Amino acid sequence: MQGYRRADQTPPPAQRITDLVVMRHEHIYEVDPDLMTEHVEQQHIPAWDMLRMVDSRLEWLYMLQAHFSDERVSGEELLAEIEAEEASHP
Amino acid sequence: MATVTALDDRVLEGLAEIVGHQYVLTSKTARINRARVPSMFAVHRWEEHVPQVVVLPASAHEVSEIVKLANRERIPVVPRAGGTGLVDGAVPLNRGILVDIKRMDHVGEVDLAERAITVGPGVNMFKLNEMLRPYGVMYPDNPASYTCALVGGRIGTNGWSLLGARFGHVRNLVISFEIVLPTGEIIRVGEGGGIKTRSSSSGYRLKELFMGTQGTLGIVTEATLELVKRPEAEFSAFWLQRSYDTAWKTGGELMRSGYATIAGVMLFDERKVDFVRRDDEAYVPQPDWCEAVCAFALYGNRAEVRPAAKEMMRIAKASGGEYVGDEIAQLDWSARHDRYATPLHGRTPNGQVAPMSWHCEDAGIPYPKVPEIRKRWHAIVDDLVARHPIFDDWGMFSYTNGPYKPWGDMLCEIDVGIWEEHLDDETWGAWVDCKREIARASIEVGGTISAAHGSSRAGEVDLVPLELGGAYDVMKTIKRALDPNNIMNPGKYGLDSAYEDG
Repeated sequence: MQGYRRADQTPPPAQRITDLVVMRHEHIYEVDPDLMTEHVEQQHIPAWDMLRMVDSRLEWLYMLQAHFSDERVSGEELLAEIEAEEASHP
Repeated sequence: MATVTALDDRVLEGLAEIVGHQYVLTSKTARINRARVPSMFAVHRWEEHVPQVVVLPASAHEVSEIVKLANRERIPVVPRAGGTGLVDGAVPLNRGILVDIKRMDHVGEVDLAERAITVGPGVNMFKLNEMLRPYGVMYPDNPASYTCALVGGRIGTNGWSLLGARFGHVRNLVISFEIVLPTGEIIRVGEGGGIKTRSSSSGYRLKELFMGTQGTLGIVTEATLELVKRPEAEFSAFWLQRSYDTAWKTGGELMRSGYATIAGVMLFDERKVDFVRRDDEAYVPQPDWCEAVCAFALYGNRAEVRPAAKEMMRIAKASGGEYVGDEIAQLDWSARHDRYATPLHGRTPNGQVAPMSWHCEDAGIPYPKVPEIRKRWHAIVDDLVARHPIFDDWGMFSYTNGPYKPWGDMLCEIDVGIWEEHLDDETWGAWVDCKREIARASIEVGGTISAAHGSSRAGEVDLVPLELGGAYDVMKTIKRALDPNNIMNPGKYGLDSAYEDG
């Protein structure tokens, strides 16, 4: 049986990324809470809700991509081809 | 100028006879919700701009009857579509009757032979394109407000599209449209008399005249739109650069590269990079050496996009920059289709986060002058922020401006965060002065006050006569001839002066 466990919903400890930014969940960046003490306080968001919001945003962005075109051309692939050509014809 | 302090029951009853009682809205909620747009606003004086009544007509005939009633009673009429504009076109500066066109959302037959569709002004582009997808076509008008803006407002503001270099802007994408004139006549303007004809040498160019008027010359009631083949392929690339000068030169080379599938080339300056470094929504890990970004996007058939993208990547690589990778490039580009969803916060001088709303000043700047305007604009905003720390400089962004021609000049925007909660007469006055100086600098380098949003707001509007010269006097002559009682969105573009000499 699965249920809501409060302890599971506490975000992981913050990992400092820059002087201004921390990260608790992988690839999810947050403003340093020390910079949100005077005018806006950082909200406590359960882990599931934070992940839901980010997943929802990603789902929306992928939908927009599909809305505008059938496929995306990979820049990484193109760069690899260019570098291979440069290596073979220096 | 038409003014009004209160609408009596006789007027309200007259409106109800035209549109039906249920579509005459007088509640505070209905009126207050239509008092402003996302454009910077004198929040501390918001009560001055609440319309007396909101009406929701369903047809051109009903709009015409509303306008005729307003002429008889000398009441201002203000058209409003999505209310997403970044100038104050939809703000009822002199109150009056607000005509909300959202009920006029009919969608006509998809004409695949002539590649056109006729719709009401209340249709949203995102929803329209979802409907068009099975047909393999799309209407490629793509503002940052794509998911919430409406066709009528896009015509009223002469809208600019993110995909304009590839598919054109609104003036290129709207083939013809129907408009109710300030005295109630209903006409159609396009290429001569053709509804779906793309080019005509018959008569004056009235389509352009009635586009981008910010509602001062009438209310759009129907539009026939261009349909293009839905792109098979999309390509987007963001390149980190070591200096703004390198990004600008690389961008110029890409803009002039001649590839027909280019949808846009973009530049972000070091202040914009700093903003991205501190913003949790837009944050992208990047090396310390990055001081600018050069980006580009392409759309079209697979057989055209891939080879062109490869050659453009070759140009970008030669600049010495670093590609951010597919995931960030593709998602960041995707996010540009709906920038209105971005939650915003600025910083006070001690680095603390404060709730701020986004405002951007835009201008059309000759490409060679973009580095100069960047320095001048930041100096103007720095001075403002030093005196009033409720403002925050969020950096400058530039984008290819011409329809089908991604060269020559750029849409430049300086984004400013504003802590509206603390606005008062002094800070509002300082902001208006700042806007005027930004506009003056744009004109002085040979640019135009606005490339995308319009130039009718306080501050910049003072300089429209300077930019347009004798053409501004012609604007006033046209306004007075078509709107003899000045009932159509009065107070905009300084056009009240057209009536001052009697």
